[in-house]
Amino acid sequence: MSSRRSRQSGASRITDDQIIELVSKLRQLVPEIRNRRSDKVPASKVLQETCNYIRSLHREVDDLSERLSQLLATIDADSAEASIIRSLISQ
Amino acid sequence: MYHCVPDFEMDDDYSIPSSNGVARPRKSSLPEDEIMELLWQNGQVVMHSQNQRSTRRSPPSKYDDAVIPAEQSAAREIRSEQEPAAHNQNSQLFMQEDEMASWLHYPLVDDDPALDHNFCADLLYPSNNLGNCTNPTLRTNGVTELHQAVTSEVWTSLPPIPPARRTELAESKAQNFVHFSRHKAKVAGGEGLDQNAPSSSRSAAVVRESTVVDSSDTPAVGHKLHVGDRGCAATKGDASAGTSSAGGGGVSGVKEMSTCEVTVSSSPGCSSASAEPALKPQAEDRKRKGREANDTECHSEDVEFESVDTKKHARGSTTTKRSRAAEVHNLSERRRRDRINEKMRALQELIPRCNKSDKASMLDEAIEYLKSLQLQVHMMSMGCGMVPMMFPGVQQYMPTMGMGIGMGMGMEMGINRPMMPFPNLLAGSSLPTPSAAAHLGPRFPLPAFHMLPVPAPDPSRMQAANQPEQMLNSLGAQLPSQPRFPNFVDPYQQYVAAHQMQVPLPQNEALGQPSSSKPRTNKGPENLGNHQ
Repeated sequence: MSSRRSRQSGASRITDDQIIELVSKLRQLVPEIRNRRSDKVPASKVLQETCNYIRSLHREVDDLSERLSQLLATIDADSAEASIIRSLISQ
Repeated sequence: MYHCVPDFEMDDDYSIPSSNGVARPRKSSLPEDEIMELLWQNGQVVMHSQNQRSTRRSPPSKYDDAVIPAEQSAAREIRSEQEPAAHNQNSQLFMQEDEMASWLHYPLVDDDPALDHNFCADLLYPSNNLGNCTNPTLRTNGVTELHQAVTSEVWTSLPPIPPARRTELAESKAQNFVHFSRHKAKVAGGEGLDQNAPSSSRSAAVVRESTVVDSSDTPAVGHKLHVGDRGCAATKGDASAGTSSAGGGGVSGVKEMSTCEVTVSSSPGCSSASAEPALKPQAEDRKRKGREANDTECHSEDVEFESVDTKKHARGSTTTKRSRAAEVHNLSERRRRDRINEKMRALQELIPRCNKSDKASMLDEAIEYLKSLQLQVHMMSMGCGMVPMMFPGVQQYMPTMGMGIGMGMGMEMGINRPMMPFPNLLAGSSLPTPSAAAHLGPRFPLPAFHMLPVPAPDPSRMQAANQPEQMLNSLGAQLPSQPRFPNFVDPYQQYVAAHQMQVPLPQNEALGQPSSSKPRTNKGPENLGNHQ
């Protein structure tokens, strides 16, 4: 690795560090990885978990939107809550 | 001559000519039994045979010998029809691998010379035939080529087998091949393989099998595959560099075989039949090699490491060790990078409106998007919890997030204070209530919301709101105030403004999720306005 870094341009070297930092950030965000020993989690694993997490969040958002829309039907359309819910759903 | 072919079923037993001859019926009439004794001398097989000129060839015997594993003892009794050829062969043969020696000696001279020509004797039969056989140059060339592929010392070519004989003995030969191939593989594996050896053995095995295919295609093919796998496995055992060369050699050998096979097609149907199946297994071998190459590449480094270690021990050369280790390292590194790149692409697809090609910026966006997603989910869940609580007292706890989002998020940045009139979605904003209210008041879309007590912001929201807070303040000035809701901050506009301001994306997303749906919040102000 060191040899590769030296061969590569300075920009790539910086990028490598950035990537490492970003991966660590992601690691903190993703709850699954957060609980693992972070020192041994490979970057590919982090990326994989991030993808999975984003997908799960998407699903959750959809699910919540559906619930909110259902709720909206049950409440007074003029209520403040309704507006809130609508705004939530429309995000 | 009667070829006393040792019972190929018996690996060790070579000297049972008579029984062998009986065991294997030969199509071609074998000349009277002539016992040619192949004596191993100094690694060379010297054939003492009284039968100087024997037109009979005993391919099966050769096969048998070949099949028989390497346990050949020093002295073998091999009946060969061609003494002179044998002699020549003997001189030429360098029996470094015992198991290969015996049958190789059998010259191609056959009572059916046409068969020789037809058969890919060239490949099978090394230059030994040159001496005694009147084989055409084709054979010579083929043999030479194959010979080149194979180390001169190691004679891995198969003895030519007349198609007729092949047909009869096909199945037995197949078995022989199996044995032989197994032994070859064992030997190859055990010896820490000379590169040529495994390839040559593999090619030889392939050749042999191909020749046998005509009569028993299925088993032969199976054997071939089996052998090929072993050969490939053996090849794998070589260092990666060695693998490529061995593979190349093996492939060339196979190709040569195919050529021979094709040329042989002129011979009776068996040969043509053999040609086809031979080609098929060759293709299979090539495919296998390709697959194996892929597998080798994709294979975990363990195999390579092991092979490297084996090679190291075998060679004991530091340079080789280092080079191999470096190769392995590079391969593993490349694989790791490929995996990471693949994951990055997948992630990029997930992130909406990600037009960054740079890894770092893409990861940045991913992080922000992830945060915004989390925030959105959190707010929505809060909203769900809020709705059931309709009584006024609850309004205090109306999720600020809902308000904030509806209002275009960020503007309530500072409203996270419990007593703030405006719900603070993003919470954490440090804007003083009065100032915030004053600041945001005019933009507050819903008068009703004004009445809402400031809900207790969640700590998380507070944290999240810190970021957008600043942006909000700046945005507030810029955001166009809607006619009805001057205070209302359209999340989308907010987003746009944010972008114009070069505000980090997460804030925008956190505020209004603009990335997910730009015009989404347009409804908000209108609805609010209606309620107004």
